[in-house]
Amino acid sequence: MNSQESTALARIGQIAINAHDVDRATAFYRDVLGLPHLFRAGQLSFFDCGGVRLMLDKPEKPEFDHPSSILYFQVGDIRAARERLKAAGAKFEDEPHVIAEMPGYDLWMTFFRDSEGNLLALMSEVARPS
Amino acid sequence: MNATASHAGMAHAIGIDGIGQISIIAHDLPRATAFYRDVLGLPLLFTAGNLAFFDCGGVRLMFGPASAPELDHPSSILYFRVPDVQAAHEHLVNRGVKIEAPPRLIARMETYDLWMVGFRDSEGNIMQLMSEVPRSAQPSSAA
Repeated sequence: MNSQESTALARIGQIAINAHDVDRATAFYRDVLGLPHLFRAGQLSFFDCGGVRLMLDKPEKPEFDHPSSILYFQVGDIRAARERLKAAGAKFEDEPHVIAEMPGYDLWMTFFRDSEGNLLALMSEVARPS
Repeated sequence: MNATASHAGMAHAIGIDGIGQISIIAHDLPRATAFYRDVLGLPLLFTAGNLAFFDCGGVRLMFGPASAPELDHPSSILYFRVPDVQAAHEHLVNRGVKIEAPPRLIARMETYDLWMVGFRDSEGNIMQLMSEVPRSAQPSSAA
């Protein structure tokens, strides 16, 4: 059990997101998404998202030069969040919609692009009265 | 609106609580499921059709095929926190995981040293283990 505990992957500490223009991406994640900017170190720009660090980084090698995984940002009110993001300049791909009916709640999503062309999503778990 | 923004900041205006999910493309779902469950030891939440969902400390990892050619690319690098980077590295080596970069000191932060190990998952994605080692608890073997 001891060895299992010491090798346990408890949680995600950081996610790397490609940005071809780190200044432009920093402005987007700070001013449009409204995430707290932690610090900048050369071509790296770090944000906090609920305890997970997002690292905006210019790809160093062609192998790393691909879009980000889709990150699904959790919000309470998906329609309001979409309106505010859209007003701040984010480009949305669709309208908020129910993507899955889970036990006890409906899972809503809507997809948008960041300044670097990465596809991202808002998600919201809306409790279903039983 | 302005009053709210000036008091609470934009984060509160948009209301992002955190990252709920990350999608990772899997070209072979049973292979990816076996890797993340049996090698990395993450709890498998459920499968739904050609999707498999894992939990990693409250963030859901979703594995499945690319729904559009545009999305068929490697994952973002995810940095998984581990308490003991040397033991976790040994664990991966013993299970035949391809190591891209052995345990190494990445950055000296104010109160801790940041250690990382680079590896590849079953789908060819580069991932990292990370560990924040407090300065005071520095193992002599790691010097």
